[in-house]
Amino acid sequence: METIKNYLETMFQSLPNTPQVQKAKHELGQMMEDKYTELKKEGKTENEAIGIVISEFGNLDDIAEDLGIGSFVKEQDFSQTRMLSMQEGKDFIKDKLKSGFLIGLGTFLCITSPSGVILSEESILGLLYLFVSIAVAVGIFIFSGAIMGKWDFLKQQPCSIDFATAEFVHNERENYRMTNALLYAVGVMFCILCFVPLVVMEELSWGIARSNFGVVILLAFVAIGVLLFIVAGVRSGAYDTLLKLNDVNTMGGRFVSSQSGQVRYNNKTVAAIMSVYWPTVTCIYLVWSFLSFDWHITWIVWVIASVIETFIKNMYRS
Amino acid sequence: MVSISSDVIRGYNDTIILYLLLDAPSYGYEISKQIKNLSEEKYVIKETTLYSAFTRMEKNGYIESFNDEDMSNGKRRTYYRITEAGRQYYKDKCAEWKLTKEVVEKFIEEEI
Repeated sequence: METIKNYLETMFQSLPNTPQVQKAKHELGQMMEDKYTELKKEGKTENEAIGIVISEFGNLDDIAEDLGIGSFVKEQDFSQTRMLSMQEGKDFIKDKLKSGFLIGLGTFLCITSPSGVILSEESILGLLYLFVSIAVAVGIFIFSGAIMGKWDFLKQQPCSIDFATAEFVHNERENYRMTNALLYAVGVMFCILCFVPLVVMEELSWGIARSNFGVVILLAFVAIGVLLFIVAGVRSGAYDTLLKLNDVNTMGGRFVSSQSGQVRYNNKTVAAIMSVYWPTVTCIYLVWSFLSFDWHITWIVWVIASVIETFIKNMYRS
Repeated sequence: MVSISSDVIRGYNDTIILYLLLDAPSYGYEISKQIKNLSEEKYVIKETTLYSAFTRMEKNGYIESFNDEDMSNGKRRTYYRITEAGRQYYKDKCAEWKLTKEVVEKFIEEEI
């Protein structure tokens, strides 16, 4: 049955997304399902049943006129639209992950590049470390750009993915949601906590050399945080890029409902809470700040709130 | 092996479907199955052809669609029922076919 569903979805993929087309797809799907069920009941094998159903489906030209898409079906030029195969989709994600990790690594090197100068108090060796780090980082950036170079066509020509690929990517993205939130949360934690080692060392008054070491750790923390952001962002970006390939005005654009940017919650209470989430956070921030006048620390409300929001979104999104 | 003339049958898909709706409302697959059985598997109507006929005849007011549950498995389906205009149209098409058949028959040689 999965094959038949894919076949139908692919047939309708590039048709405009109108009520008539949706109804036609639904009715035709119903007829195919009925026929398939009956053939199976008669003792036909899976492959036989699928073969019969698909061979007796007919041609979309037959219904084009009735749906007011006659010109659409005829004008449709498939050579214009590049179909991405399942394998290409998987390769794209793989390459994107690779290049994302490299970009993260390059950024890490850039952020931590002054470490040598700070530690060695501007000696020539420290400077050397700075330049070598940046040079390596630039090399990595160029290399990662080269990896993604072969996928430039995704931006240059209209491409689309079929139903099976869309489903696959969608499932991958669903499975990845919690990991994504976790990576972000850990990244934010590193960024917030980056000054802690420095403060601790200052408190212990270990002397200037040690406090320089604290600055280096601070840089490293920030760099790790940014690395995590980049790795996480690139991966969900890869999924989104693939899912957004299909034109939203066609049936293909409907393959995965979660493609639309709007978040829907599967729990009414959560949905109600989330609708007043940011106003509430603003209230908390202002009340706390004005009551305590600790403006230097109250900003942390925003960071915490955004982490919590990401978590709630991922836990309760329908 | 002789096969059916798709050009000729196309003009009579409506007639065939309306005939099957004369007694009781029916739905897509049921109709296509009956066509296959009654024609002794000589004519298998394509799904798209059938759906196209439904929408066209509904637009012309020959049939009406409604949603109902299937008695046997409780599935919701779109059923079609024939209208008065549909019955009239069916009668006209029958008369048209009789005449057509009569004319064409005159030019058919049984044995060559």
